[in-house]
Amino acid sequence: MRVPSTRFTALEVDEDAVLTFPDGLIGLPGTTYTLVAHEDGSPFHWLHSLEDPRVAVPVTSPWIFFGDYEVRVTDDEAARIGLSEAGQAEVMCVVRAAADLADFTINLAGPIVVHSAKRICRQIVNDSAGYSVRQPLFSEVELSAAEPAVPAVPVTAVAI
Amino acid sequence: MLVIARKAGERICLGEDMIVTVLEIAGSTVRLGIEAPSEVPVYRYEVRTAIEEENRAAAATGVEELPTAKKAEQG
Repeated sequence: MRVPSTRFTALEVDEDAVLTFPDGLIGLPGTTYTLVAHEDGSPFHWLHSLEDPRVAVPVTSPWIFFGDYEVRVTDDEAARIGLSEAGQAEVMCVVRAAADLADFTINLAGPIVVHSAKRICRQIVNDSAGYSVRQPLFSEVELSAAEPAVPAVPVTAVAI
Repeated sequence: MLVIARKAGERICLGEDMIVTVLEIAGSTVRLGIEAPSEVPVYRYEVRTAIEEENRAAAATGVEELPTAKKAEQG
């Protein structure tokens, strides 16, 4: 299906690339999204609404940046998206961009858990380990080589 | 807004299938027990608000604001 987008003009989205959020994303409209690659090799994807062409949030795998990150999914929450074992799940976290890379943050307290096969998703609260909704994404070391971001040209909707 | 006084051990019904029980009152802290269907999300207010704010702020990100892959790996 063809889906309009204010960021990418339009997306061509396969049926099996549709992610369903039965309870929506907290504070955002709609229940169906897809993942759009930011660009080849980028750690970032856009979680893009299939219902509102304006709505897309940058997401990434938390483990790319925080190797020891842990997510706890309660039984109730797991049941909501049909998860019965951890191996069925994928996790992504919402990224908040800023003018400076040093000010980029990632929401480790509100990860999005995805049932990989069913593509049903839920944003959960993961605050037991004291994770922040606004954890700085890049460390000092990584920032030493930083330059201003330049426009990228991503376009393809991809299945996860 | 409805304001009601409750003592420890007393309950409040919300609709047909949700019950909030005042478990304990200790100083300025109240412990609540919440029984609700699993499809009803229950959040601490400030946590929900914080996540909502992050989602909305992230949704205002333009494509040009994300670093390229090379930049992200290097920093």
